[in-house]
Amino acid sequence: MSNFSIAELSAAEISKLVTSKEVTAREVAEQAISRIDAHEKDIHAFNQITPDMALAAADALDEKIAGGATAVELGPLAGAPVAFKDNMNLVGTNTTCSSKMLESYQSTYTCTAVQHLLDANTLPLGKLNMDEFAFGSSTENSAFGPTKNPWNTDCVPGGSSGGSAAAVAAGMVCATLGSDTGGSIRQPGAFTGTVACKPTYGRVSRYGCVAFASSLDQIGPFTKTVEDNALILNAICGKDDMDATSVEREPEDFTAHLGDDITGMKIALPTDMLETQGLDPEIKASIYEAAEKLAAAGAEIGEISLPHAKYGLSAYYVVGPAEASSNLARFDGIRYGHRVEDAEDVLDLYMRSRAEGFGPETIRRIMIGTYALSAGYYDAYYGKAQKVRTVIKQDFDDAFKDFDIILTPTTPTTSFKFGSKTTDPYAMYLSDVFTVAVNLAGNVGLSIPVGCAKADNMPIGLQLIGDHFQEQKVFHVAHALEDIYKFHSVPANLK
Amino acid sequence: MAKDRLTEVLERYEAVIGLEIHTEITATNTKMFCGCPVEFGGEPNSRVCPVCMGMPGALPVPNKAAIEWTVLAGLATECKIAPWSQFHRKNYFYPDMPKDYQISQYDLPFCADGRVVIDVDEDGVEERLDRETADNVTITDDGYAAEIGITRIHLEEDTAKMIHIGGAEGRIAGAKKSLVDFNRAGTPLMELVTEPDLRTPEEARRFAQKLRLIWLALGVSDCSMEEGSMRVDANISLRNHGDTELGTKTELKNINSFKSLHDGLAYEIVRQAAILDEGGRIIQETRHYDVTSKVTSALRSKEEAHDYRYFPEPDMVPFQFDEAFVARIRERLPELPDARKARFIREYGLPTFDAKVLTSDHEMVEFYEEAVAAAGVKNAKAVSNMVLNDLSAYLNTSGLGVLETKVSPQHIAELVGLIDDGTISSKQAKEVFTFMTESGDMPAAIVEQKGMKQVSDAGAIESVVEKLMVQFPDKVAEYQGGKKGLIGFFVGQVMREMQGQANPQVVNQVLADKLDNA
Repeated sequence: MSNFSIAELSAAEISKLVTSKEVTAREVAEQAISRIDAHEKDIHAFNQITPDMALAAADALDEKIAGGATAVELGPLAGAPVAFKDNMNLVGTNTTCSSKMLESYQSTYTCTAVQHLLDANTLPLGKLNMDEFAFGSSTENSAFGPTKNPWNTDCVPGGSSGGSAAAVAAGMVCATLGSDTGGSIRQPGAFTGTVACKPTYGRVSRYGCVAFASSLDQIGPFTKTVEDNALILNAICGKDDMDATSVEREPEDFTAHLGDDITGMKIALPTDMLETQGLDPEIKASIYEAAEKLAAAGAEIGEISLPHAKYGLSAYYVVGPAEASSNLARFDGIRYGHRVEDAEDVLDLYMRSRAEGFGPETIRRIMIGTYALSAGYYDAYYGKAQKVRTVIKQDFDDAFKDFDIILTPTTPTTSFKFGSKTTDPYAMYLSDVFTVAVNLAGNVGLSIPVGCAKADNMPIGLQLIGDHFQEQKVFHVAHALEDIYKFHSVPANLK
Repeated sequence: MAKDRLTEVLERYEAVIGLEIHTEITATNTKMFCGCPVEFGGEPNSRVCPVCMGMPGALPVPNKAAIEWTVLAGLATECKIAPWSQFHRKNYFYPDMPKDYQISQYDLPFCADGRVVIDVDEDGVEERLDRETADNVTITDDGYAAEIGITRIHLEEDTAKMIHIGGAEGRIAGAKKSLVDFNRAGTPLMELVTEPDLRTPEEARRFAQKLRLIWLALGVSDCSMEEGSMRVDANISLRNHGDTELGTKTELKNINSFKSLHDGLAYEIVRQAAILDEGGRIIQETRHYDVTSKVTSALRSKEEAHDYRYFPEPDMVPFQFDEAFVARIRERLPELPDARKARFIREYGLPTFDAKVLTSDHEMVEFYEEAVAAAGVKNAKAVSNMVLNDLSAYLNTSGLGVLETKVSPQHIAELVGLIDDGTISSKQAKEVFTFMTESGDMPAAIVEQKGMKQVSDAGAIESVVEKLMVQFPDKVAEYQGGKKGLIGFFVGQVMREMQGQANPQVVNQVLADKLDNA
């Protein structure tokens, strides 16, 4: 069979074709490589393409299948073409974080989540573009040029995991991993019409993912379907001895309730958040429409208030840069990474290597964070931001006493044009207004596409927020929305 | 440094000293936040991994055993164990810090508010002028005891080792090249901070020595000052006697022996006094004591400008220690040096001096205990004599350590036993001891081999004595005429006749009996 298409099929569907021997893994890998070749010059999703690695994994898988390995043994993702955000280490690749600082940095070990996907017999196609060190909402901060939105290449794919989102939306691969510190999975998910999940903090090991803000970062999947997303999370989640913040949980199957009736599921609309200034009226309308459709399917809709969520962005832009300023200190030119050749002394080496190696947004975040942690300012900034975090978390905890899911927009607007916000960092930061609170509180958040805006024909994503470790409920409701809207992540011209 | 100069200065100024003592936890086999082995030396950068090299994306995972050792150290120094504690990041750029921040503890250390009692005797006593009146000082038989407060003990990761080539005094400033060995990076490092309770260089030395003994008794570290597994920094300031406010301090760093700690502080006290005498002001700075030139000098560093930007380590969750946990660790507490000293006096009947000397050396006391275990408690004093006299003398002349000689605790126990049961005399024992140090043979075998058995048979000695009385009638007469001192002459003659193997006590007894009643 050769008339299958990665752009049309989900990872689970491809895997079934491969394990039932209807197509070989090599055919899948080859198609992925040729699709990447065809579209990469327009999209620029990848920092590094690894055809040899994908073909080797494919051949190894084909050999297992030839040797009699069953679909159950190989797993539901066997043969699925995947790729990873370029802040995740994978031996055999460079891990650049889209920074000149790490342009030639070769991974010395493999990220736990990446390894889990390799162990699931997926085919690794490469490393994906991002905003430098995950600082940004458009991939315009990449040192290697921006990624384009497959729905309209004049528009940004969102960020910071823009490459991860675009690669799925362009049908280059079936699933990718991204990382989300304030919205860096969900926002590009919304902008590209993909299903994008930031799991509960502690659900997925962060080991091997270059840290932005340790207390906020979480790895999660981009896929075309809710089922794929749940399957990927099944594969990458779990306690890791290499990450002290990963959490031991009873094993569970995130696909368990996909397709189940949602009757009785309690869904909350945070009415105060929906009055946020700058929220696109079409997106606002889509929330109420989705609520109606969910109610029609049996869900109970209620209203809540999240009074402190509006302080989320302020707290986030203290906590995130503060931790980042410390996490990025190691990029000093001493052991690896960019180093000036003619340093006069160690201070000169540090200062010029970092000034040359980091882009402007990275330098801005380091400066904000360094300031916020400085003696005399700590209490006013970092200390205060942590208090805000506590009350935001309390808001969510209170809401989840009565509700299963909170439904919000993922972003205040749909994707925007390149260059439209680059001169105004604060306007760019507003992209995360609905997503940051979820990171601050550590909850699970998932963006699901519900259609395109009439104004610009760009995808709209809605965010489903669940209580800590309630991924099953989130996937359950997301699947119901998927059934209702039947949105296709890959635009027609790219199929 | 003339001793009297220090004494003179201390009469006019009160020295206020606080110590910061870093100890590598060598008892754990692995580093603080990764699985790399903890060892000294080795091929540079051979014991490293992504975590302790600060590779992008690597995360620290705390070493539970190291935390438990720290809690144990806290319990041994009477600290309170924090029910809630956490790691912080101390941010600063330096090539010996792979992440450019050190994972340390800030306001929530594992242990706080403890104390250690030090004994000062001999020369150091006079330097403490207020020993009769100070609240934390108790006068003892041979000096005084002082209770020194422990502010805190926290846990952190050690830095890498750097070698600077071409810079002055091995410093980075002006170096042409700097090499970094990350083998040491990430080794668990306990930092103990004392209250400014120490008043003399001697007290500082005694404190550091006492702490080392406690750590060795716990087994938490090998405490090697040469290899850097125990490192002492000292803060020192002067003030007028009676003042309560602290003067401006200087910090002595990189002290690598107890003697340097004492001498460096003594130098610094005299140096500061000279400045104050002239109406000058002390500059707060870090200074280095050079053992060769015996002076301290300012380290050129920009440290005063440091803002470490401490914040809670977000890669780890805070620690909560309940009472059950602390009780479980407390069960691991061994007998500490002070308790052992008291037991030696109480149960072994040792003089205070013996008990003090034996317990002031970890290897010596362990050796002694083993010898007593083999020789029996009734011989505890005899074992102590042999260890403190014969063995110590031998160690001094040979330059060997307790564990480096051919003499084991079993040797000592057997030798003491041979004296105790009268097989050999104390005098013969000295000979056996010498043979023992040379060959490593067991004492009984040496006695056998050399035919050194002591004759305690009164009959055999009597016949010799009778023979001698015939041989020296005039001496007998002189003795009986009142020159009782001549008994020594006869003892000597008996010993000569019997090749020194006669039991001296029996000889004395027989002689007295025969001569008095002849």
